[in-house]
Amino acid sequence: MPFLEIQNAKVGFGPVSNRTEVLNDINLTVRKNEFVAVIGFSGSGKTTLINLLAGLQKPDSGEVLLKGKPAGEPGPDRGIMFQNYSLLPWLSVFDNIALAVRQVSPAKRKDRKTLEEHVMRYIEMVKLTPARDRKPHELSGGMRQRASLARTLALDPEVLLLDEPLSALDALTRGDLQDEILRIWEEDKRTVIMITNDVDEAVLTADRIIPLTMGPAATLAQEFEVDMPRPRDRTSLNDQPEYKRLKREITRFMMNLNQEARELRRDTGISMPDLKPRDFSLPVAPPRLRRSSAA
Amino acid sequence: MAEKRSDKIKYGLLKAIDVSGFKVFDPVIRLCFREETGKQCKEIGKFLITPVLFVIGCLLIWSAVAPRHKTKSGEVPTPARIVEAARISHTLDRREDEKEADFQRTGNARTATIGTIAALQAEKEQLSSALKEELATTEERVQAKLDGSVAPVTGSIEKFNERSKAAKATREAALLALAGQVVTRERSTSELLLAVRNHNAASESEAETLKKLKTRRNEILGDPPTELLDAQLASNAVANEVQHLKKRSEWLQQGNRSVKVAAWNKKAQDAEAQLTAATEAGAAVKAAKNVVKFEKKAGDGAEQEYPRTVTVYFQLKRSLFTVFCGFLMAAFVAIPLGIMCGVNRVVMACLTPVISIFKPVSPVVWLLIFQIVIGAFFLPDPEKHPLFLFFGALPVVSSLGVNPALIFCACTVAMCAVWPALVNTALGVSSIDKDHLNVARVLRLGFWSRLFKIIIPSSLPLVFAGLRISMGVGWMVLIAAEALSSSDGLGKFVWDEYQNGSSHSFANIIYACFVIGIVGFFLDRIMIFLQRLVSFDDGATAV
Repeated sequence: MPFLEIQNAKVGFGPVSNRTEVLNDINLTVRKNEFVAVIGFSGSGKTTLINLLAGLQKPDSGEVLLKGKPAGEPGPDRGIMFQNYSLLPWLSVFDNIALAVRQVSPAKRKDRKTLEEHVMRYIEMVKLTPARDRKPHELSGGMRQRASLARTLALDPEVLLLDEPLSALDALTRGDLQDEILRIWEEDKRTVIMITNDVDEAVLTADRIIPLTMGPAATLAQEFEVDMPRPRDRTSLNDQPEYKRLKREITRFMMNLNQEARELRRDTGISMPDLKPRDFSLPVAPPRLRRSSAA
Repeated sequence: MAEKRSDKIKYGLLKAIDVSGFKVFDPVIRLCFREETGKQCKEIGKFLITPVLFVIGCLLIWSAVAPRHKTKSGEVPTPARIVEAARISHTLDRREDEKEADFQRTGNARTATIGTIAALQAEKEQLSSALKEELATTEERVQAKLDGSVAPVTGSIEKFNERSKAAKATREAALLALAGQVVTRERSTSELLLAVRNHNAASESEAETLKKLKTRRNEILGDPPTELLDAQLASNAVANEVQHLKKRSEWLQQGNRSVKVAAWNKKAQDAEAQLTAATEAGAAVKAAKNVVKFEKKAGDGAEQEYPRTVTVYFQLKRSLFTVFCGFLMAAFVAIPLGIMCGVNRVVMACLTPVISIFKPVSPVVWLLIFQIVIGAFFLPDPEKHPLFLFFGALPVVSSLGVNPALIFCACTVAMCAVWPALVNTALGVSSIDKDHLNVARVLRLGFWSRLFKIIIPSSLPLVFAGLRISMGVGWMVLIAAEALSSSDGLGKFVWDEYQNGSSHSFANIIYACFVIGIVGFFLDRIMIFLQRLVSFDDGATAV
């Protein structure tokens, strides 16, 4: 039985008279403990897709199913890690995570010590122990993302939804955090859906890579199965022929998508009637005429 | 290690002045810790010394220009006069303190004070009479000098008078002669008319000259020399002190609380003795009634407080209390309403017309409305109203004399201060980051925990920005409201001084202006401080 499913979902924005389709005909099936990467260009509706999965966005038609039942309102069972961290700026790292822990397991609300142990476990997991009492604005981008990851993990979700978690980071920090996410996932397997715009990242982390076509009315294209042994090591990965092949194919596919979209856009562009604007400039009146009209 | 500790102190201090909004003193502290001395000195020169010099320059210009402008309340006071006014106000307050202490003294302390006061009074009286003598001699000397300088002018006036009288007489005679010739048709009438015109012109010019001479004499007379003024001031100051000492001994001997209570007790005892000695019913009843009456008087007397004369410090305290009450009322209304507006767009739509229409209304109108509307609650006897009984029972507040006028002023302040806080709170709540709300949705926070854990913390900086504006508006409105409603406070102080018209009034008004300004400044700083404490993003606040 599929763990998480989207069936024929369709999402649009704007009033009925002028509705822009963002996602169209989305079908996705994710197995339990699978790591799926959705790759797409910016503006193709990736965030909308993840919001759809999280329940933050309702589909116009179609359904989102979790374990065969409608997923409904957002909740801790689908832990979402937002693109721009979304840490609460007035709370320290510890308190941000504690808020999540308290909410998810009310039993821990009572006992300060168990709560603290629980929170510290997640802080240690993302290696933020020295920064536990700092406020988000005192942290670097990478540290904020780690805190955000810890908060999401603290929800103990059945599905982890990562919305371009690393796109705002520099390349080195990103690599570091990718390893971190992989390590945590391998230690504690669960279903992950990650949105990304980075082919390398997708190939490194995912079991399956699903491209999202260019918007508007984007849909999921043919998936790529990543059949490489785990744990994957980024340094030796570059030598594996499978890795190279996948990277090449996906990149080519994405580039073609881009090309196609461009052509599509050219075709569907509203054709302008071949008209020459009429000249509405006023004729310059001879001075004598003006004088007589004034009189 | 020692280095590190000093660094810690330094950064602590820097943080403190930053949070309290006195960033100007940043280089001073850095200089104290020998950090880049050259750069700090430059900073201090630019942003501390230059402004100070500018202010001093302004004061100098003020001192120079003020005496040249004569108004109907005397000349515009100079900064020195303002300082003098402040000093006098302070002295008045201190004297009230002394008298209050005298009123409350009992037993040996009282007798001892009577002794010292008497000694001091004798000393001051001696000094006073000496100064009076000196003043008399100075006056004489000045008068003599004045006579010397006025005499020539007076002489010339008299001489000119005589001369012009004579000239006038001759001109009149000439006119008469001419008129006689005109009557006999020897001369034409037009000649006579010309002569009359000339005569009038001559008289006018003479009058003009006389006026000029008189003005000069008045100038000499009307400008009392500084030595005389100084002598008068010195003499008055000591005479004032003597007066004060006399008042004090009065309070110690007759007005003193313990003395009064003792007197009543004595009377009560006498009446009791009469009661025990009474042989007939009528006398016994009368004596018993007296006992009860005197005992009650003694009891009342023991609770009596010194009736302080109102000083500017008292007015200031009362103003602060009033503005605080009004501000609290405003905050209690504005924050919940603002949150409701921000959370629910229907509430916002409902309140928008109310806000837009009542926001621009002048505080004066509100004051009048509150006097009528809220005044009705305190009828028929405001003194017995539970609200004032409650305020009267509070320890510090009772001395402020809370009355309906204060409530009206506080309500006016609240009415005018509510809008900025309300609008800013609504803005803060409605402009909350959508991601934070999404976090709340994912965490499935209930309404109340969403409110208290997400919405309120995230809007607090803007709420406090609004409260800060409210405080400023409230303080401004309060002074006007107090002046209009005669509720004791700085506003009434200014109004009373304006009506009073004594030689110190003008200086007192400007002194009050500075007091109001400085207090307003500190209120604003407190609000900035609070705002900085709750703002999580280290956002800069406007100064």
